Amino acid sequence: MKPVPPALAALERALAGPEEPWLRERLDLDPVAARAALPVAFPALARRAGRAGLAGRAEHAGVRVDLAAWRRCDAVGTLLLHAADPVDDATLVDLFLRGDLEERTILLRAATVRPLCAATSRFLDEIQRTNVGAHLEAACLDSNLLVRALDGGLLARDRFDRLVLKAAFNDLPLARMDDVRARPGTELTRMLLDLATEREAAGRPVWRDTLRLAAGAPVAGTIARVLGALEHGDATTRLAGAEALVTLGRRDLVAYAAERLPREPRPDVRASLERAVALS
Amino acid sequence: MKIFEPHIHMFSRVTDDYERLALADVRVVLEPAFWLGQPRTTVGAFVDYFDTLVGWERFRASQFGIHHVCTMALNPREANDDRVNADVLAVLPRYLEKDGVVGVGEIGLDDQTPTEEKFFLAQVDLAKAHGLPILIHTPHRNKRRGFERIIDLLRDAKFPWGHVLLDHGNEETIALTRDLGCVSGFSIYPNTKMDVHRMVAVVREYGVDRIVVNSAADWGISDPLMIPKLVQALLRAGFPDATVEQLVWKNPIAFFAQSGRLDVAALDRPPTASRRETHDGNTILRGQDPERS
Repeated sequence: MKPVPPALAALERALAGPEEPWLRERLDLDPVAARAALPVAFPALARRAGRAGLAGRAEHAGVRVDLAAWRRCDAVGTLLLHAADPVDDATLVDLFLRGDLEERTILLRAATVRPLCAATSRFLDEIQRTNVGAHLEAACLDSNLLVRALDGGLLARDRFDRLVLKAAFNDLPLARMDDVRARPGTELTRMLLDLATEREAAGRPVWRDTLRLAAGAPVAGTIARVLGALEHGDATTRLAGAEALVTLGRRDLVAYAAERLPREPRPDVRASLERAVALS
Repeated sequence: MKIFEPHIHMFSRVTDDYERLALADVRVVLEPAFWLGQPRTTVGAFVDYFDTLVGWERFRASQFGIHHVCTMALNPREANDDRVNADVLAVLPRYLEKDGVVGVGEIGLDDQTPTEEKFFLAQVDLAKAHGLPILIHTPHRNKRRGFERIIDLLRDAKFPWGHVLLDHGNEETIALTRDLGCVSGFSIYPNTKMDVHRMVAVVREYGVDRIVVNSAADWGISDPLMIPKLVQALLRAGFPDATVEQLVWKNPIAFFAQSGRLDVAALDRPPTASRRETHDGNTILRGQDPERS
């Protein structure tokens, strides 16, 4: 079996189990044979390797992944691709487009730890075009793939913004989108605030992280929303508002935090308000 | 009486049929890949159909509390079509490994041409390579001769008889197949093929060992409730519950479980799908409240 980078050693632990001989047989193939076997191996992965969860983190060469979100089949799929490397973009795209929902999820998880390539870009286009929650989660959460793709030039800013907006539309948590909070943008803020307005008009819940991300690149209307959130009846909205106030970092707004602080019952919200007051 | 319907083309049926099947205690449907009423002209049309069998149709069945499994194949009718036959054969290996695929079928003979035989044998080899049983479509014309030819081809190929389901049989063909060790399939139609009364007579004469029954319901005049109707006829004729259960539940499970891909215990319970779930972002709800539909 081709050695894997030390940072991905945790994936090898996923091999243990009754199907280990079948898996090892494929991992031991030379790269040419391993590549040829991919179209038939991938459909069987979830069935053979199973969906039991992993644990731990993987970090290497600018890649950061929370393996707690991974299943055994994701790890085995990633190792199969590694054994078959170099796998060209056409092969990866063929695996994705001819794969079922599970195979696509495995490929997306693998993409979060593999080098960026044209196939990664196509995968992200596909999850933008379709509307599969599991695929959005696999690509956008629990890794820094989106930010890596933005910083690496694979995703233009507008594509990055639309992917984050789609994640927000599907109510995925910002806290699991590694580093996205550190890449705010005014156009993204405008789209998020527009979405919030639409949701409010329809009486539907607003993405809970709207203000956290909007505060990093405020546009007209952002401040009013943040201040309004401080008095919201829902504590998670107040917490987002208080955190956004800290992110905004404006001394002229400190008075609003100070005014709310004595009346705020929730310790976590109070802690954020105190940080905002400390800006003065 | 719980029922495993081992041959039904749900792709062609409406949602009312799923509701009626569920109410009649049909817990599993097996959908063999077949033709679509008119010839396909590109391999892409097959690929989209195969994707539906392992994707949307499986999801759609689950939304009505029914397990959906399938068999994959280039069917014998279109095996004669050189526009698609070789290309379909080339994509089959990856589809034979997909979740929900428990056999190779419908393969077999239709017009009984040399080309059909070539692609039949190629798919018998695929079944061996993937460790899957085969579901065989037998000809509607010159049926006895077709049965005999298929049997000769399988004997020459040394394919294990226990992994063979010879479908669409009748009183004329069952005598050919009983001693082989294969499973004999009977399709019950409202007006053609076998009917309920003839099937009761077959069970009376041959018993239920290595026999399965199906509706083969498809795009034409056919009835997806033929097996529940047969169950009632058999019970009225005095057959014990255990005999009928073996025919409509245990036999098809025993045959397709040879794929190693049937979770037999799970088949007893409806799939756990919620109507809040989607497949590729799509639902069957058409805007309805999932809690009230």
